[in-house]
Order: sequence, then C-alpha cells, then structure tokens
Amino acid sequence: MRRAVLLAFLFLASPAAAEQLVSGVSQDLIQITSTYKGSDIVVFGAIEGQEPGEPRTRRDIVVVVRGPESDITVRRRDRVAGVWINHDAAKLSGMPAYYFLASSRPLKDIAPQNALTHYSIGLQNLQPDTVHSHHDYEPFRQAALRHLTKDKLYTETGGVEFLSETLFRAHVPVPAGVARGQYKVEVYLFRDGEVQSAQSTPLFIDQTGLERRLYNFAHNQPFGYGLAAVAMAVIMGWISSLLFRRPT
Amino acid sequence: MEIYLPIAEMSVQWIVILGMGLGVGFLSGLFGVGGGFLLTPLLVFYGIPSGVAVATTLSHITASSISGAVTQWKKRAIDFKMAGVMLAGGLVGTGVGVWLFAIMRRAGQMDLVVSLTYVPMLGIIGGIMLRESLRTLRARRSGNAPARIHPVNHVWIHGLPLKARFRQSRLYISVIPPIVIGFLVGAMSAIMGVGGGFIIIPAMIYLLRMPTNVVIGTSLVQIIGVAIVTTLLQATSNYAVDIVLAAILVVGGVVGAQFGVRAGAKLRGEQIRFLLALLVLAVALRLLWGLVVTPADFYSIGGS
Repeated sequence: MRRAVLLAFLFLASPAAAEQLVSGVSQDLIQITSTYKGSDIVVFGAIEGQEPGEPRTRRDIVVVVRGPESDITVRRRDRVAGVWINHDAAKLSGMPAYYFLASSRPLKDIAPQNALTHYSIGLQNLQPDTVHSHHDYEPFRQAALRHLTKDKLYTETGGVEFLSETLFRAHVPVPAGVARGQYKVEVYLFRDGEVQSAQSTPLFIDQTGLERRLYNFAHNQPFGYGLAAVAMAVIMGWISSLLFRRPT
Repeated sequence: MEIYLPIAEMSVQWIVILGMGLGVGFLSGLFGVGGGFLLTPLLVFYGIPSGVAVATTLSHITASSISGAVTQWKKRAIDFKMAGVMLAGGLVGTGVGVWLFAIMRRAGQMDLVVSLTYVPMLGIIGGIMLRESLRTLRARRSGNAPARIHPVNHVWIHGLPLKARFRQSRLYISVIPPIVIGFLVGAMSAIMGVGGGFIIIPAMIYLLRMPTNVVIGTSLVQIIGVAIVTTLLQATSNYAVDIVLAAILVVGGVVGAQFGVRAGAKLRGEQIRFLLALLVLAVALRLLWGLVVTPADFYSIGGS
C-alpha cells in the first residue's frame, strides 16, 4: 500500500523533473493454456528529456516485476529424539508470489540502502507485511528467499541492456509455475541515488480455455467435479478390463 | 511434451506422469494393492503439491482397482459380503481421516505423522511376509509339500460376538475384526492417499485367514469404495483433485494393471508375497532414511 502511494506521488511529481521515463511491456496478459511452459516478456523504454552530452553512467534503470501478494509458511526441522521433525514455523504474509528484478548496475552502486528499502527494490529488501512467529523471523525469511530463488520465482539480475544512450530493454522470464493474478511491472529511473521517475504497468496472468473451465468447475461445483473425477476413473478402469480381456 | 495442470497450477512432462501411472499400475495388478503408497511419494518427489498428490492418487487407485476387480470378479474371486462389512468400517474411517488430515496440515506435521506410522507398520508387515514367504519357498524347493501358513491361534478373534458366515471365504467369524481393519484403512486412505491394500491383504491372510485366492479381489472392492468416497470428500473440502493429472495417471494405471494381473497369474502365491514383502520393506527403509538423516536444508516451504 505504502509503495502504491509513493508511486502515485512520483507520477504527480515527475512532470517537474528534467528527465522522463517512458516504458512499455510486450504483453499485458499472459494466458496459461494446456501447453504453457513458461514464457518471456520484454520490458522496454526510453529516458526522455536528457540533456545532450551528459555522461550516461549517472543514470540507472531498475525493472521490477512483482506477483500477487501471498502468504508463505516456512518451517524449520529440528532433531527431536533422533528424528527430524518440523519444529518451528513462521508465516510471512504479504510477500510477492513472484519477484523479478533487473538493473543496469549492481543495486548497491545505484542507490543508498534506505532508498532501496523504501521501494522494496532487491530481494534482501523484501519484507513481509505481517509475521506470525515465536522467534526472530529473519532466518525464515532468508530460507524463503533461497527456496523461491531456486524455483526461479524470485530473481535478481543485472539484465537491463541499453540499446542506445536512452533506449533500454529487459527480458523477464515467466516460469511455468507462476501464480495467477495481477502482476505489476515497475520501471524506476535512478539518478544520483534518487528516484527520478517511475512507471507502473499492470500485467495479468490467467488460465484460459479448458484449464480455466476446469478450475472454475472444481471451485464452483466441487461435488459435481468430484463425481466427474470418480466417473472418469470408474469408466476408464472398466473399459480397460474389457479391452484387455484375457485370452483364456 | 508438457501439459499444464489446472488445479496443481504447474506444467509437467506428461510422459513421465504416464510412466509413473504405468509402473505403479503394474504393481497394483500384480499384488492387488492400490499402489498409492508408492505413487503419492513419487508425485511429491516430482514436485506436485502434496495435497494434490494425495487427493489425485485416489483416482488412479479407483481406476486400476476397478480394472483388476473386474478380472477377479470373472474368476469369482470376490467375497462381496466381506468387502461390504469392511467398507462399512472404511467409510467411518474416511470421515475421521479427513478430519485428522486438516488438523495435521494446520500443525505442519503431515510428513512426520506419515513417516512415524508408516515405518513400524510397513517394517512389521514386510518382515512377517518376508519370513513366511521365504519359509514356504524353501520348503517347496526342498521337495516337501508346501507348509500351510502356520496357524497362529487367534482365540480372542473367535471369542468375539456378532459372528457371520462368509460363504466365499469359507469363514464363520465375528464382523468386528473386518470392521476395525476397514476403519483403519479408511482413515489412512484419507490421510495419506493410499488405498491401504498393503495393510488389508496381509490382515486378510494372516488375521482373518481368508483363502489367498479371494483376498485380492475382495480387498480391491473395499479399496474402490473407500477411494471413491475419499475423492468426493477431497474434492469438496480441499479442492485438491486435479482431473487432468488424474486422467494421465489413470490411463497409465489401467494399462499397467492389466499387465500386472497377467504377470501375477504366472507366479505362485508365495512368490508374489515374497516380492511384495521386499517392496514394502524398501518403502519403509526409504521413509526411515528421511527421518534420521540430517536434511540438506533445515527449512522448507509449506502451504498456508
């Protein structure tokens, strides 16, 4: 919520700034079909109103794609009586289900820590809204970052390419295991460690066609759906016993 | 060759899933077990969320069990009365199991409970079957007439009230032991996505003393009943049945089961029991391994 207010503020404030950011996304809707195995979207843009002859190194672009907020429960195993059991748990609420970050330079060179924390830019600056835990949740948060990075749901790369002085582009891989919902594509223009301009574009990821209908069926008429699953299993089992009638 | 699963919300290689269904179906036709105790861990290992794996495996169990049951029925090797009595206990057990499932999920202790109950249970059952089948195999090899399964005197079983005659099994026993066995298996099937054949079959052979030829068909009927009811409960309470995943598993399962039944016909009872014992012990060891070996990562991410 805080982030949204900040972004809105930036939008209002940016006309006054000397440099303007213009950006776009190659797709604003990703449809998950039966053959979906992940896809790539391209975030591109340009820095406008640049004074000629200024050294480029002082400007930086950060592209962030955030998935819908989700609750992540992390459990820790401890040895109790010689057996490893899930002992402690922390529930981190309000973490994005998907987080992709690409920057033109390493984040620590782009902006001071407090600015990065402010906009939650960078995996290490992602903080849950609320935490249910009896202990310090930091190791649990680190474990969540580690696991989600391994599943390619959390990514932090330096993948912003400048095609010219002002044109830039970043490839955003969207893996097959992403959650459905509304995503946000954010592009930040940093100058001297401060956000000069920012843009946020929504991106929708949804199931389509048969997948969508099956999902709705399962949730709207669960009993009918269950019956359909049972009927499918019964009929297939019965047909197979007819097809494979033993020769004896 | 990937296909997207609408409920699991992930893409899978359908050929791998088909292979799993085929392999487990073969074992299920061979031994007359549902194979859930193998399929559920396989699916979880592949990356399917465990709730979906537990619920969807039941469709596979239903289909391969029906496929096997029709074949057994043609051989008149089903004791429907016994199956009905066990099913009565099984349905109550299913209700209790779904309730326990929800409690354990909330506490995050699903894996622990599954492992802690599986290891001793599978270890004991596997051990008994292995010893018995080896003894019979050895006796046959040395030319002696194969010894009957050594009768343990279950006097307490015969002292129970509510006796009934089970014509097909040539038994006159109390209905209480079959109901209790059915109840336990029903509860397990809801909690772990297993049909429970690997418990039912030894229990029928060694506790109830049913003739081996009726055991497989009868356990299949009981398993079908429990699996159908559990599928409906999982679909309505957890929305966890993935029909696309189920369809792939079922196609593999029913084909595999037919080959399994045929392979089983070529083997003698004690040989089948020997192989099943090895399989059961292998699963027990695998679970024990997971309990005592220091995990590579102490942290895991679970559902809410």
